[in-house]
Amino acid sequence: MVGASEERELERLEKQVEEGGGGVVEYLSLVRKLKVRRSNIVAKHGLQLLNQASARSKLGSDLWTVYEQVAIACMDCHALDSAKKCINALDSKFPDSMRVGRLEGMWYEAKGSWQKAEKVYSNLLSENPSDTVAHKRRIAMAKAQGNMTVAVEGLNKYLETFMADYDAWRELADIYTSLQMYKQAGFCFEELILSQPTNALYHLGYAELLYTMGGIDNLRTARKYYASTIELSGGKNMRALYGVCLCGAAINQARGRGRTEEESQELVSLAASVLVKKYKEKASSKAGLVSSILDKYKQLAVA
Amino acid sequence: MGRRFDVGVGVFGALLLANAAVSTVLYRGDLKIRDEEFTFPSAQVVFEVALSLVLCLWAALKIPGSFLPILSDAKENRVTMFPANLDFMVFNHRGKLFPPKFVEAEFS
Repeated sequence: MVGASEERELERLEKQVEEGGGGVVEYLSLVRKLKVRRSNIVAKHGLQLLNQASARSKLGSDLWTVYEQVAIACMDCHALDSAKKCINALDSKFPDSMRVGRLEGMWYEAKGSWQKAEKVYSNLLSENPSDTVAHKRRIAMAKAQGNMTVAVEGLNKYLETFMADYDAWRELADIYTSLQMYKQAGFCFEELILSQPTNALYHLGYAELLYTMGGIDNLRTARKYYASTIELSGGKNMRALYGVCLCGAAINQARGRGRTEEESQELVSLAASVLVKKYKEKASSKAGLVSSILDKYKQLAVA
Repeated sequence: MGRRFDVGVGVFGALLLANAAVSTVLYRGDLKIRDEEFTFPSAQVVFEVALSLVLCLWAALKIPGSFLPILSDAKENRVTMFPANLDFMVFNHRGKLFPPKFVEAEFS
């Protein structure tokens, strides 16, 4: 997971690297550690680094990991020749490695040769049927070809075996959301929340899903999850604060005239006051605009 | 100063406890000579034990560092974004139409 301090460090190093101030090795290592997708910068500076023989020798045992990282970044940026050279370097060092085999499959994917990629993954899986990454690449391949039904089926089958793989649950939730199958996506989010109950972002994702689904019960549950996001993120998550305000207004509208019980408006006004305070601190010119919008939500929530 | 002071307090507390133990043994020896029954340790020992408890507790709470928040994501280092799901990375995206220019790889 990427924390606030890691994000700041990443931004600092990225700026330094882009301005030519050195620190490329540290940047590449941080990108690997945080698993962020910065293919453009990684490919640009990684290739420059690998082109210098002295820099290569300084990398020591990290050299091969950097080759792999740069190869994937090059594929992502469609620099297939450079990616092939990285893979060849890895292949000559580790001739029978499955990890290099997967890279070859990915190279065929980037090239658009789906059948060849499929053949590579099938061979890898026949050698080692529990190779999770090869399974995932096959699913990603179906997704890349726009074949979402196959991707969903593949992911469901994969999750029957590897049900503790939370990245796969997250991917399934994303795919279901993109297909507007919100009920199924909700199930995936429930699994994710069960796996990591203290991660505010899963609570936020589930809340947004429920808000999108609509209906008074879903909206009330969404408000609860927005509130738990605020609690878990120390009140610093702006999306959750906005979410609480929107839910308050939407619940009141959904109830219409047939109101039976009084909804508490304290949460909405508290979230709104925090939002205005934050805007005053960070972007005081927008504070007036935000407070007028929030006043409208508050009126809707009370009316 | 902080950490050294805390360690010093802890060591002083432990020495005080050891002193209380020695005092108790000596006191019981005295009682045997005077041929009296042991009923209660002397006030000095009770005071020393109580003081050493406070000092050792202080050191045990201070030396390991400050408490971490129960909510691991709250406070300073909260989770701000997910890592990219790199295992499911797809290369067939719109960036493919405008590939950026890089230096050629000059290794093999």
